[in-house]
Amino acid sequence: MTTSPSAGAAVLAAALALPGMVPTVRAESAPESAQIGFKYLSYRDSQPGLKRVSVDAPSVSWLVPVAGSWSLAGSYTLDSVSGASPRWHSSISGASRMSDFRRAADLRVTKYFARSSFGFGTAYSTEHDYRSNSYSLQATFSSEDNNTTWAVGVGRALDRIDPVNAVVVDEHKRTTDFLLGVTQVLTPNDIVQANLTIARGRGYYSDPYKQIDERPRERNQAALMLRWNHHFEDPGASLRTAYRLYGDSFKVDAHTLSAEWVQQLPRGWTIAPSIRYHTQSAAKFYYDPVYDPLLGEPFPPGYLTDPGGYYSADHRLSAFGALTLGIKVTKAITKDLNADFRLDLYQQRAGWRVGGPGSPGLATFRARFVQVGVTHKF
Amino acid sequence: MRATIVLSLVLATAGCSSIEPVSPWQKGNLARPDMTFEGDGLESRFLEHIYQSKENASGGSGVGGGGCGCN
Repeated sequence: MTTSPSAGAAVLAAALALPGMVPTVRAESAPESAQIGFKYLSYRDSQPGLKRVSVDAPSVSWLVPVAGSWSLAGSYTLDSVSGASPRWHSSISGASRMSDFRRAADLRVTKYFARSSFGFGTAYSTEHDYRSNSYSLQATFSSEDNNTTWAVGVGRALDRIDPVNAVVVDEHKRTTDFLLGVTQVLTPNDIVQANLTIARGRGYYSDPYKQIDERPRERNQAALMLRWNHHFEDPGASLRTAYRLYGDSFKVDAHTLSAEWVQQLPRGWTIAPSIRYHTQSAAKFYYDPVYDPLLGEPFPPGYLTDPGGYYSADHRLSAFGALTLGIKVTKAITKDLNADFRLDLYQQRAGWRVGGPGSPGLATFRARFVQVGVTHKF
Repeated sequence: MRATIVLSLVLATAGCSSIEPVSPWQKGNLARPDMTFEGDGLESRFLEHIYQSKENASGGSGVGGGGCGCN
């Protein structure tokens, strides 16, 4: 295998990154015990008759309480990526094999008060042709009875892109995002959450390793996430559900639904089957695999008359539906030591889109992700 | 995108004033790990980034993500 970084590098440049994403939290007290976790992720994807990208990513995360009202948390991951991804639609060039390493780390400091918390996070991710730094601030405020918690946050990411094929040199992308969220206890067995995130990005959004890929230099995104967890006393299980409504300035609208049933079993075992469905419309500049009669593949019809327009044949910008079936098994080995295994099977098909027709002419995309982990509290 | 923001504002202003308050001693089940929204941090982030790189949608969970060269 060569080390020519190619499409796959861009595809998964930080696909498995663990940047400083600060999760929204209910107001909570500072953690009482330290925790360390190890996780190993194996990712494989394919299209009919073709194995594409493989990723192996060991990672470690940790959390330490400090001085009673502070916490320090972080993670580190090392990805090794190999394989190939399409240069347009479902077509893969024989020259696009690649292998790459990526390192990512993040750190988060949180100060807790009686009914509020304030956090700062930073993250760093690097590989041979892509570098990212991000920073975030987040605060939570709870009502007197701690049944309602508001969360606000702001984040800033600075990415540098320097592809080895020198299609562009020292390009960048700057993104600012905002969060407004509320979490509400409804009953002793029900809790709901609504989060709105808005992101405003400027810079290089094209894929330097794909042919005929020219995207706008700005992208605004909004996502509304609604979540509801319900606990069933009798079978000793929790149902975790979520719905996300998404829209962006590329004119992609998406709906994502997920549900997970977490069933407690005797002797410290837990089993959690899950299902996730996603449907999206195509970006306004995505073109179907119908090519210019003069230029042929991969040029879109009319390319000669408007060569400076926006075009992309990236199948991820097409209209499709996707389904994931997952299962997770956890075993509490001791009071402070847990081991877990998770398998997810994922498929993307144009015919599975709901809310409109899927994009024609694309091969079914399949992926399998496996996670194995242990967590220890001190 | 506009619909997403408008729906959020409607939900926010609808309020939760009619909800019967839950007392601290009734929150045993809500404190269970499987009832928190954070869940398994590393796992959630792995999955989020896989989906972010294979689909054209992201967000709704937090801020300061960045680092995705997955276009």
